Amino acid sequence: MARPRHVVGYDEPGRRAILLGNEAAARGAIEAGVQVVAGYPGTPSSEVIETLSLVAKDFDMHVEWSINETVAFNVASGAAIVGARSMATMKNAGTNWVMDMFATLVYTGVRGGFVIYSADDPEAFYSSTEQDTRHLAKAVGTLILEPMDQQENKDLVKVGFDYSEKFEMPVFVRTITRINHSSGDVEFGPIRKERNKVAFDRHWKLPWRWNVYGPFKYKGKAGPTAKHAWQLEQLEKIKEFVNEVPFNKLIPGETDLGIIASGIGYAYLSDALRKLGAVGKPWILKLATPYPLPEKLVSELLENVKKVFVIEEGDPFVEEQLYAFMKENHPEIPIYGKTKNQLLLRYGELGFAQVVNAVAKYLGVKAPEVPEERRKIKAEISKIVAPRSSALCPGCQHLGTYWGLRFALLKISAELRRQGVKGVWIVNGDIGCYEQGGYGIFAKPIKAEATTESKLWPFNNPYEILDTNYIMGGGIGLAQGEFQAGYRDGPIVAVAGDSTFFHATMTALANAVYNKAAFTFIVMDNAWTAMTGHQPSPTSGVTATLEPSKVFKIEDVARSLGVEHIWTVDPYDLKATEKAIYEAIKTSWEKKTVTLVVARRECALQVVRRLLRTGGLPEIYYVDEDKCVGCTLCVQLGCPAVGFDKEKKKAWIDPVLCVGCGMCAQTCPVNAIHPKTKEGR
Amino acid sequence: MARDEYYLMVAGIGGQGTVLLSRIIGDAALMKGYHVRIGETFGAAMRGGSVHSHIRIGREVLSPLLLEDEADALLAIEPLEGLRRAVVYLKPGGVAVLNTRKVYPIDVNFGVARYPKIEEIIDAFNKLGAVFVYGDFTDLAEKAGTARATNVAVLGAYARLIEGTDAPFDKETLIEAVKGRVPSKWIEANLKAFESGYKLADEQLKK
Ligand SMILES: Cc1ncc(C[n+]2csc(CCOP(=O)(O)OP(=O)(O)O)c2C)c(N)n1
Ligand code: SF4
Ligand code: SF4
Repeated sequence: MARPRHVVGYDEPGRRAILLGNEAAARGAIEAGVQVVAGYPGTPSSEVIETLSLVAKDFDMHVEWSINETVAFNVASGAAIVGARSMATMKNAGTNWVMDMFATLVYTGVRGGFVIYSADDPEAFYSSTEQDTRHLAKAVGTLILEPMDQQENKDLVKVGFDYSEKFEMPVFVRTITRINHSSGDVEFGPIRKERNKVAFDRHWKLPWRWNVYGPFKYKGKAGPTAKHAWQLEQLEKIKEFVNEVPFNKLIPGETDLGIIASGIGYAYLSDALRKLGAVGKPWILKLATPYPLPEKLVSELLENVKKVFVIEEGDPFVEEQLYAFMKENHPEIPIYGKTKNQLLLRYGELGFAQVVNAVAKYLGVKAPEVPEERRKIKAEISKIVAPRSSALCPGCQHLGTYWGLRFALLKISAELRRQGVKGVWIVNGDIGCYEQGGYGIFAKPIKAEATTESKLWPFNNPYEILDTNYIMGGGIGLAQGEFQAGYRDGPIVAVAGDSTFFHATMTALANAVYNKAAFTFIVMDNAWTAMTGHQPSPTSGVTATLEPSKVFKIEDVARSLGVEHIWTVDPYDLKATEKAIYEAIKTSWEKKTVTLVVARRECALQVVRRLLRTGGLPEIYYVDEDKCVGCTLCVQLGCPAVGFDKEKKKAWIDPVLCVGCGMCAQTCPVNAIHPKTKEGR
Repeated sequence: MARDEYYLMVAGIGGQGTVLLSRIIGDAALMKGYHVRIGETFGAAMRGGSVHSHIRIGREVLSPLLLEDEADALLAIEPLEGLRRAVVYLKPGGVAVLNTRKVYPIDVNFGVARYPKIEEIIDAFNKLGAVFVYGDFTDLAEKAGTARATNVAVLGAYARLIEGTDAPFDKETLIEAVKGRVPSKWIEANLKAFESGYKLADEQLKK
């Protein structure tokens, strides 16, 4: 075998390497002999499949980027039903997408080990919410594993397959940004060489095993209810089993203070105790199975303590189960955590600092403090630390689309006002790099108000163009709802990227056409799933493992879904983009129909990276100061390479950042921006 | 004697190689037999966001984040980002390397925020009690062959700063780690950048 393209593929048990949490999870799946892995990109989960796709051939596994999480989950479920070890990966929001099948699959269970890798994002670094997906797995009733660090991220994924086969149930690994996107030294274990046999038996161990509606009879019931009874029996077995899982540990202490620390909570706790000089003081239950709780271990802890403090990332999930359990068994012991006796916040990530302070308070020891004098110095310095708002890349093609959209909206709005319509547009955002169209400018203060009338809010940059933004595929549905509620004060627009188009908007588009809605849908096709790290999508022409595949055309799909008015445009051509969007909005307004604009150009960052590999950028742009009249139009494009010198009243271009797209030159009314060739990049 | 636990912070913006730099430092610690945890916030794919890495090196560490005033060292690939993290994490007496090549945030471009002057940043580092060197490391890297080696030029200066201290690694280990992480065709330029960074620090410390 040739040397695998990633260290996770090395068959060297005992080797230690620094791995990202997600790379460690990939290693765990390899060690377990996984056969099918499917997922949809989503930070912080994507590197599992990215890593596995590099070594898929070495281990004869199928690794795919699916069109969305639902499909990925179903693909992995099918593989598990025929006996293969399979895994589905997703971010928190994606777990919501798999719930229908997840809630149903547990009724039949699985034959091959099935691990669901769900990556939560406390502090919402990369997400719309801080949602704790442990609730979802508990709601359907299956085992949850929660790692404390990169090593356990590997180990728990690995044993997850064994546990899944032992109980014939999918196993849910709940992991988080601070593990997935942190690195740590990980020790490799042996790689399982044998592969599960792929076979199908419709009555495997139970009649009508893979068909919830099949006439399976159990405990006096039939069909799904009988299957439910069977599932609950499996869950009882799991409840017993978690007391023996070696990743759960009861650690005796010198005092009568108890702490239950789940997942990363234990890593923080362990480091905090060293910091506080309190190692060995509390009794600790280190928890890797937040559901079901290992009740025997919990009872043993409670017999030795007078108080208990729960440290966990996310909601008070273990804590609430503990309340329920202790009501019967030790109601006298007070519980500290995120609810009644609050030591930790319920929102935001747990974080080391918070844990150090809370543990110090709980144990009655002194936490490290910053002296008052130093606090003052820091407060003074903080005043000059300018914020850095998130921005699109230099030369990002989305900037062109937003430029065109902004001026098309201004034009239409002015026309509508002349006809007595308010001209207040709504731009519904969606999820992708272009969602930054709604991030705003951190340093700019905004005052809210309570109006009853539609109102137009002025803005002069692409980062304030999106009026609404929630979830993938949300924008187009909102647009239809706004129209159908009778909103007529101005045009309604929805935007989406190409990956989002395939993930979540096709059914909504058919629905809108079928139900006779009118709005303009703008799809920004940059040929990749860019925001999450440039994974391929159906527009890329390659699969996860870089095999050539069909290039899907959004116009063709939309046409077949009933859209009749379609424009295709290059967003680097600002005039043409404005014109196409203007016509699309006007047509939608006048003909009361759904219109579509496809703004197509490959992601600028991908193009630049390719150019850098093959010899550099052909040219960059500069501002001719003698010609510049200081109008700031080019700055309004929003390219981070274009700045403005307030004293000189002249625009400037950062030569390190500029990638030479030429869009800013098109915005200049006096032709002051020109290309020049650039050496050495 | 090297310390049992040692903490670093790397600050920069997306695309400047903070993640690579953290991994290089992590590898060096691993070579010296330590455990390592690196807490990275690397933002989304887009370039230009504020990114920083917490690096915890020790005999027992499990978790990835630093406390306030805990960083023994700060490596700043961009000045504003360096200041943003120094003011929270750098301990009094901690060592720091400050690249003075600015990258403006859009807040400054749109005229709603002001980029502090380099002198103000240097003054702030002094007030925070940092032992630091500064300079245009991007320029050094460009001269060494590629601006992308800026992070490694900064590392070179750091290697000089920790000489004779209780930091858990030395110049040789750091160079080994660079060689292990940088693609072979860029090794030469990176080693050159490392040495220029080292020299810059050496000259500044002698003054
Ligand atoms: C349900 C769900 N799955 C995954 C994600 C993660 N995610 C954020 S943006 C994005 C992709 C965006 O791709 P595209 O629409 O093509 O826009 P681009 O970033 O390329 O501009 C994904 C998958 C999410 N937010 N929600
Ligand atoms: S990664 Fe691509 S799509 Fe995303 S902001 Fe950068 S250039 Fe634009
Ligand atoms: S040409 Fe203008 S818009 Fe394009 S990357 Fe350079 S500065 Fe930005």
